[in-house]
Amino acid sequence: MSTYDTALQVRRTIIEMANRSQSPHVGSCLSCVDILAVLYDDVLRLEPWHKRDIFILSKGHAAMALYSILHAKGILMKEDIEGYYQNCGTLPAHLDRCTAKGIEVSAGSLGHGFNMGLGMAYGFKKQDNNRKIFAVIGDGESQEGSIWEGALFAGGLGLDNFTAIMDHNNLQGYGRPNEICAFEPMREKWSAFGWHALEVDGHDHNALRAALREDSQGKPKILIAKTTKGKGVSFMEDQLVWHYYMVTDAHKCKALEELS
Amino acid sequence: MRNAFINTILEACQDRDDLFVISGDAGLGVFDVFKEEYPDQFLNLGAAEQNMIGFSAGMAMAGYKVLVYNIIPFVLYRCYEQVRNDICYQKLPIILAGIGSGLTYAPMGMTHYSVEDLGIARTLPNLTVLSPVDPVEAQLSAHYALSASSPVYIRLAKRGEPTIHCTQQFDISKPQLLVGGDSSVTLFCHGSIGEETLHASRILAEEGIRPRVFSVPMVQPLDRDALLQCLQGVRTVVTVEEHYSSCGLGATLRDIIMDSDMPCSLTTLGIPSRFIHEVHDTAGMRRLWGIDAAAIAAMVKKLWKVT
Repeated sequence: MSTYDTALQVRRTIIEMANRSQSPHVGSCLSCVDILAVLYDDVLRLEPWHKRDIFILSKGHAAMALYSILHAKGILMKEDIEGYYQNCGTLPAHLDRCTAKGIEVSAGSLGHGFNMGLGMAYGFKKQDNNRKIFAVIGDGESQEGSIWEGALFAGGLGLDNFTAIMDHNNLQGYGRPNEICAFEPMREKWSAFGWHALEVDGHDHNALRAALREDSQGKPKILIAKTTKGKGVSFMEDQLVWHYYMVTDAHKCKALEELS
Repeated sequence: MRNAFINTILEACQDRDDLFVISGDAGLGVFDVFKEEYPDQFLNLGAAEQNMIGFSAGMAMAGYKVLVYNIIPFVLYRCYEQVRNDICYQKLPIILAGIGSGLTYAPMGMTHYSVEDLGIARTLPNLTVLSPVDPVEAQLSAHYALSASSPVYIRLAKRGEPTIHCTQQFDISKPQLLVGGDSSVTLFCHGSIGEETLHASRILAEEGIRPRVFSVPMVQPLDRDALLQCLQGVRTVVTVEEHYSSCGLGATLRDIIMDSDMPCSLTTLGIPSRFIHEVHDTAGMRRLWGIDAAAIAAMVKKLWKVT
């Protein structure tokens, strides 16, 4: 089974969860699926569990994507997925690390997981522990001051065990990043902060794999992953409304047809 | 008080390599020797408080016992959401050491006063809050925090507060009797205003008025049963705090007294809820807000007659 198969399975699970729960953020989930598939299939060390690498979904509103990949990897069960966003259920719409195995940090408010990941990376480095930290951040999230506070320090601390992946789907809650602020050039900004910064097609698994494995030359690394919001479902792709819209039964049928 | 607390923590660092001190660009004269001797247990994360708290949470998840040191606005106010989500929501055993409780920094200006921090801290589940009255309570607070498995916030003054307690053998989680006397009028205080409260009790004693005085070092969670025990036979309760009286110990006691149907009145001495534009040093501020020894004594004298 290839990482593309995993990604397809995860996208289908997301559509089913979003339809069952009538919860938002399906577009934000679909954009980061390929990143998660490559990470969980080919990059993260997951065994033994107590020595695993840490994955942080800092853009915690894409929780369905994390739940779905954890389900694909057998870490979350079918009952966990079915209890998402339900009364007396199992999993909330934003991440709560007390709810299930594999949820490393509680996240949902933007600009938190990234900094916690930096602290973990620093802690592991001090302990000569070779566990690595990977954190997916959003492009909207990258307007938070906390991200840049952390970026400034991580560059100076040489945290080469930390990799951030920006899911740059170019659509945030109510607009495009570069229309809201002087967002670009992103790679140059991170480079100037002392990071090993790369641009990559966030849906090209070979490119993602190579970038994630690339030596960061003693620096923390960031991949600016160019992605498409709603990726994989034609009527959701690059559409702002799918940050919030609910997946109806008709939407679900059409989406699953495309994702077969 | 600040030094008693910090020295206890730093001494513990000698035996615990999991202890780690994070400063937010503060600590001149406090950590100078420590950071030279223990460079692997100290990091200055600069003037970046959101990152400071989130980063500390991450270190705690990597197995460290982290002490975060800064003045109170930068430990609790600017980074409130990080304290809420990253530390308290995840119940991480981090020590938040906030310097400059109450009006310690007067006349530095309102930005540097911490007269509402208890009101803020009280909104945070999982957070233990300590407000020591003297260096002894500060030391015991440090020991408590070092062994705690959940977050602890400690508010500290740093103006050379005198030692009040004669012993270190007491439970910091319970109210402490500082001055015995007639239980019908009982004073409760916390933090560095304890010094003024004790001075007031000495003024009153000269006139034959002897109310009891308790310190309440652990203001969250409040040991309700122990407090109710202290309130047995009390007709008049007076709280004294260098804090907004609307959201500090007085407000908490009001809730407890009302819930318990105790037949006692409550007078809360503190600072009114407004921004402070007046320019005074700490002593002058206490006089202004009626929480200096003379004002406390005058209020108790008035209540004594009524009682």
